[in-house]
Amino acid sequence: MSLFVNPYVLFAGLACSALGVLIALPRKGLNPQAVGGLIAAVGFGAALLALGLRAGEHRPEVWFYIFALIGLGSALRVITHPRPVYAALYFILTILSSAGLYLLLSAEFMAFALIIIYAGAILITYLFVIMLATEAPSGDQIDALSEYDRYSREPVASTAAAFSLLAALVGMLAQGVHQTAPQQPTDAAAALAMMPKKWPIAGDAIRLREDLPLDAVTQRVTPDGKVVMRFPSGWSGNASHPLPRAVGAGETAVFEGPSDVKAEDIELVGFALVGEHPLGLEIAGVILLMAMLGAVVLARKQIQIDESQKVAAAVGAGGRR
Amino acid sequence: MSISSLAALAAAAPLEGGLRQVTLYHYLFVSAAMFCLGVVGFLTRRNLIIMFLCTELMFQAAGLALIAFGRYHLNFTGDVFVIFVLTIAAAEAALALALVVLLFRRKETLDASAWAELRG
Repeated sequence: MSLFVNPYVLFAGLACSALGVLIALPRKGLNPQAVGGLIAAVGFGAALLALGLRAGEHRPEVWFYIFALIGLGSALRVITHPRPVYAALYFILTILSSAGLYLLLSAEFMAFALIIIYAGAILITYLFVIMLATEAPSGDQIDALSEYDRYSREPVASTAAAFSLLAALVGMLAQGVHQTAPQQPTDAAAALAMMPKKWPIAGDAIRLREDLPLDAVTQRVTPDGKVVMRFPSGWSGNASHPLPRAVGAGETAVFEGPSDVKAEDIELVGFALVGEHPLGLEIAGVILLMAMLGAVVLARKQIQIDESQKVAAAVGAGGRR
Repeated sequence: MSISSLAALAAAAPLEGGLRQVTLYHYLFVSAAMFCLGVVGFLTRRNLIIMFLCTELMFQAAGLALIAFGRYHLNFTGDVFVIFVLTIAAAEAALALALVVLLFRRKETLDASAWAELRG
């Protein structure tokens, strides 16, 4: 079993990016975030290029590198930016570039669902809570950050731990994941056979539509793309469109289906979701309901604050204005 | 056969085997790197909200790996599990943010170490 990439290049790149992340993390004293980000980008880029070195023409297209750069860069900004609002905005950028990667993988439905649900709903909730739960600025320092946002906790140890994990994961990649060869592809033709509404032009294919209302014809689709039609009795075609010679009225004929009918991404996702995982779908609904109830119960809880604290807070707020 | 197969649907797959193994490795690498950045953020940041944001970053990375593996195996279970991940992320965001608001009202700070007595 030959190694997929040179592991020294790979692990050197990872060590370089670990150093960059460490430099970019907020801490006391000098904090050159741009330098750290640059070093991390060089490290990740070296590792990615090392992965693609022997790929030949199977190398991913250039958009992959662009989206990966934006995604990882903004992920780095999420974990290093001292201001929570900016971190949330950079996280939206990460989501957008993830959606770009989904599009490159031709998962169109999931890409747009990701943008709508994550960037449109979840992150807006985060932004609300960030703005709701921010300490009021004290004194004349309007722009002052709170202490827990400025300094990170145990940067060296946690970077070492996380990048050890990354090295273990990527080392497995470097050896090749041979056990995960493609097995059972989804049968798109069988899925199509379950979608008879996709075939309204079957009549056009055999040039019958103008004479024969299609709902007078019973038709179904077989998994190998043939259209089976049963004609009503008392109809035997006309001069311009006779029935095929072998078929009489009230009998069944098999036609080659039109070639331009194909299952779209969203239809196949829908069949996989409802057809193969219906129990998961129900449980997901129950989980969402429980989360809603739980959030309502938690938010209704009253916190008892001392009267003196309330007065102090009110006086403080009034004093600032 | 007249129906276009799934391989034609996958534009990222130039050959009949769907996503090539090499291309799969690129996506898995990006996913693993994003996950580890999330881990670093979760461990180092002290702001409760940013910590939850970093868990969302890890969800993102897992979703990318799921989609890439789904395209590699030419089935749609990966997509379905990303839908479930989105569901869990939404539920987690609702509950966790309600908890964060509750904790903030109690101690007027978002510092995770303000709750160090929970250590026991």
